[in-house]
Amino acid sequence: MLGALRLMAIGFAVLTVVYICLSLYSRAVRRAKLEAEWDRDQGPGERDGFVHQGLEEYDGSLRRKLILGVYVVPLCLVALIIYLTNFA
Amino acid sequence: MFYVKWFFIIGFWSIVAGFFHYTLPQVDIVRVVNTYEERQELTDWTRIFWSTPDSQSTNINNRDVQFIQTVRANGRPMVYRNEDTGWHWPPYFKFDTANLYTEANDAISTKENPRWFAIKHYGWRNEFFSSFPNAVSLWQVEGPEASKSIPWVNIVILTLFFGLVWGIWSRWRRFRISRIDPTLEDLQDNWEAAEDAVQDQGGRFMRWVKGLWRGRR
Repeated sequence: MLGALRLMAIGFAVLTVVYICLSLYSRAVRRAKLEAEWDRDQGPGERDGFVHQGLEEYDGSLRRKLILGVYVVPLCLVALIIYLTNFA
Repeated sequence: MFYVKWFFIIGFWSIVAGFFHYTLPQVDIVRVVNTYEERQELTDWTRIFWSTPDSQSTNINNRDVQFIQTVRANGRPMVYRNEDTGWHWPPYFKFDTANLYTEANDAISTKENPRWFAIKHYGWRNEFFSSFPNAVSLWQVEGPEASKSIPWVNIVILTLFFGLVWGIWSRWRRFRISRIDPTLEDLQDNWEAAEDAVQDQGGRFMRWVKGLWRGRR
């Protein structure tokens, strides 16, 4: 079972790096979109306030929680492979 | 320079191809002849061709390995090893070695009355290194000409891999065109300008020397 622990530790470390990179990237993309939207419409309100509010909405959104799939998908994949190799 | 460059490019892609050819699953149509266990030394570099089952203590230097002897549809022999991959590389997560051994024993048939099986495996058979492909699963097929079914897993993995390579490559290319090439050209321009200036300076210096010479005379 030590091998399982080792795999989980390494996998968790690697996936955490991927998760952090992906969430920073996704937030930057959202910020750029909000800024472009304000620049096009010149409103509503102040530019900084508009972007800030948009990002706060993004923080509570489902799209952001979907990035957790970085952990969930490999876990499901491993479970599927274990089932197919040993029990199917 | 041209040959050196291509030597490295071809070398690199050969290693990548070898890695995938070793690791990805392949299917053979075989007739199982027998199974056996044999004690294997695990001390030299061919250790990399054996698995590391979880049940094995870390400082062991030999152990029994199960083998499945088969004859392939083309009549040539092939021997597979039967080992747990456990939680280690490659990620087959195979724990059912004992079950597969039982299935293999159940699948034994004679030349006169053959039953054909598809055997999924990864790895290489090499007589010099005594390396054996590791059998992963076994199922009965109707005959030696039976189809091996489409290798979906390999298609998906290779597509994802080459997509990743293409993505990195095209970004690197764009980065090089927009950032590195102009910088290099600037460097070259500066260098040429410096060279011109030095030549100019040198010319002036020589004229001054000549002038001195002439003046003194």
